[in-house]
Amino acid sequence: MKKTSTSSPISRRTMLRSSGALAATSAVLAACSSTKPSVARIGESPTTVKLEDLAVTDVVLLRTAMSMETMAASMLSDSGVTALANKDTSSVIAAFAADHTSHLEDLQVLISARNGEAYTDTNAKLMQAYGQTALDLVASGKLPEDTLALTLAVETLIAATYQYFVSLAVQPALRADLVRLGARSSRRAAVTAQLINGGTGGFAPANDKDGVALVATLPGAFGSLSAVQVQLGPVNDTGSRTTVLMDTPSLNSLIY
Amino acid sequence: MDTHQVESPDMSMTTRRRLIASLLTGGAIVAAAPLFAGRASAAEAGGPPQRDAADNDALNASLERESRMVATYRKAIGGLTENDLIAMTLILDHHVAYAQALTGYLAVDVKTPSSAPLASPGGSLASIARQLAALEDQTATIHTDNLATIKGIDAAMLLASIVTVEARHSAALELVAGASPIAAVGN
Repeated sequence: MKKTSTSSPISRRTMLRSSGALAATSAVLAACSSTKPSVARIGESPTTVKLEDLAVTDVVLLRTAMSMETMAASMLSDSGVTALANKDTSSVIAAFAADHTSHLEDLQVLISARNGEAYTDTNAKLMQAYGQTALDLVASGKLPEDTLALTLAVETLIAATYQYFVSLAVQPALRADLVRLGARSSRRAAVTAQLINGGTGGFAPANDKDGVALVATLPGAFGSLSAVQVQLGPVNDTGSRTTVLMDTPSLNSLIY
Repeated sequence: MDTHQVESPDMSMTTRRRLIASLLTGGAIVAAAPLFAGRASAAEAGGPPQRDAADNDALNASLERESRMVATYRKAIGGLTENDLIAMTLILDHHVAYAQALTGYLAVDVKTPSSAPLASPGGSLASIARQLAALEDQTATIHTDNLATIKGIDAAMLLASIVTVEARHSAALELVAGASPIAAVGN
């Protein structure tokens, strides 16, 4: 009789049987797996708590804006700053601090219209990240010019924050409201820059005779979202000063 | 004992091919599922679009304003010298950049803007600065009002970055015009 089977050692039946056995074994092993950490350790092992999923809503942006405005008002009215500012600039800085406080009312209205809850504290994470450091440096440096440098940095930061929030806001009308608030900080930043380096000669970026960059009223054509850099505090042994980087709020510093 | 294969070779080849094709198709669908799921969830989330053709009219209006600001500054810098000329030319360059950015964004949807100056600033530097500060304010307001109607995120971000600096233009020009720091802020 004619033998018609193939000579291959792997028949279709064998392949299906093997595949089925493999799938069944995989299922059993997967079911037996543990979610506990597999690495052995001595002592108490910390449990991992999964972060809850939080959405960046318009209300979150507004609450965060309130925390930033409160932080700005707090920094500009800090006793270490007001004590150092000279008589020409102290009234201006005080007025700027009052402006930030007044913006809270505008933000509260916007939050209430969206059934949100106002936030009245400073942004604790950013205060810890760079706000308090900046204030400590101003206090330890005891340099009157640091008060304006800090003011310029804070106003630039707040303007950048509102500009950044435009990219996160959902409602077009809110974007316009955010830009209006940011423009006010932008104006204060320009005025502060002029108080540091006044006249039309201070408009464009330039260096002094030693090659050190001067403060420019109009540092760029478009609003920047990069970290605001400011040199504060005493001159150290190498002749330089501490540079503080101030970033706009991000996902871990939003007020949810 | 003899072994018989009942099925014909042709039939077997077809079935195996179908099996492999089915497996490949299934695998491709499984691999692509997360991509489709991501798109579906983004659409369901109802987030703002990156770009919206309905924004073009507002953006063309902003472009027209910037084009006219460029023409205005070109007239204004005529009699200026040294630092004053450098400062006003810097702001002129900013407005040129805004017009170029908006033109680039609109691309084929751009409408040829007017290049008629909005004013003929003249006189002393303070006088010129005062007139230009007012125009900067109006320009920022136009962009901000447009922003309230624009749906696309990219266009909104562009206008926001322009308004942020035009506010600086206005305040700096107010100071040059002789305003006090508090008044220049707009309080």
